[in-house]
Amino acid sequence: MQVLETKNTTWQIGGKMLSSRLLIGSALYPSPATMEDAIKISGAQIVTVSLRRQSAGQGARNPFWDIIKSLSIEVLPNTAGSHSAKEAITTARMAREVFGTNWIKLEVIGDQYNLQPDPFETVKAAEVLINEGFEVFPYTTDDLVVAKRLADVGCKILMPWGSMIGSGKGLMNPDNLTAIRKQFPELKLIIDAGIGKPSHATQAMELGYDGVLLNSAIALAQDPVRMADAFKRAVEAGRLGYEAGVMQKREFASPSTPTVGTPFWHQFA
Amino acid sequence: MINIVVNGETKTISSTLTIAETIQALDYRGKGFALALNGTFVALSDYEKMLVHENDRLEILAPVQGG
Repeated sequence: MQVLETKNTTWQIGGKMLSSRLLIGSALYPSPATMEDAIKISGAQIVTVSLRRQSAGQGARNPFWDIIKSLSIEVLPNTAGSHSAKEAITTARMAREVFGTNWIKLEVIGDQYNLQPDPFETVKAAEVLINEGFEVFPYTTDDLVVAKRLADVGCKILMPWGSMIGSGKGLMNPDNLTAIRKQFPELKLIIDAGIGKPSHATQAMELGYDGVLLNSAIALAQDPVRMADAFKRAVEAGRLGYEAGVMQKREFASPSTPTVGTPFWHQFA
Repeated sequence: MINIVVNGETKTISSTLTIAETIQALDYRGKGFALALNGTFVALSDYEKMLVHENDRLEILAPVQGG
């Protein structure tokens, strides 16, 4: 008997061919060993990292960075903590040297309370960085016009938020996200931020998004390694569902069991 | 002696030095960090050429966890 099987289709982002559509963060895990295990079981092929002030006298060793390097997956440095285009651009240039990649998750925060990205500074920084040869992964809101401006300056990837960073609230505005997907079929779209549970990731993938980036939902789970496995499957399920084509919604009930030959059938008066 | 600001803290170094000499004097070792001088990125290849002056601000950053 032939067993039918669906395989993960490969996809391309930032010049790399990947099979996993889950992008994972490296922060907030209860221990480095849990982080490592969670990243491995998630199957993610892109991990986000950051830069922070280094103390003098620490020497050349960096255990965190040694673990990430040992995983042999793509590294996506972020500009987290930047509040202006200038800060983000400087951080991106520093990241390129340290991490040896032209990929940058461009994050310019415009409000400290809800960590909403500053669209004006993000667009400004994206333009400069693209001209310097960076592959920019901009963290943005679900605003269609901001997405247009980012595309105008040359972004090939957009990363709208599902909801606020670390909130776990899921997709607050699926209609807006759908509008961005429809408007930019040629761009790579990743939902970044706000994912709280596996079904949120599935929903994002069912909308036709190319991938999902998350951190807190796995790292802050009671069992991060098990949750990483759950997200792996959730992303795959959502993508398969999208590729398979979701049925049309109907206004009224429609029986799934054949009506021909229904027992005890009689014509209603 | 001159004062400079390194990662937000005031430090004293003997005189105006190159960046390479300054980070050595401050006990930064290895190559696992990147550096900005007064908010502008300085490439590793420029550490020998550029000087650190009185009241200059250095940011020295290394890889950490990120989301």
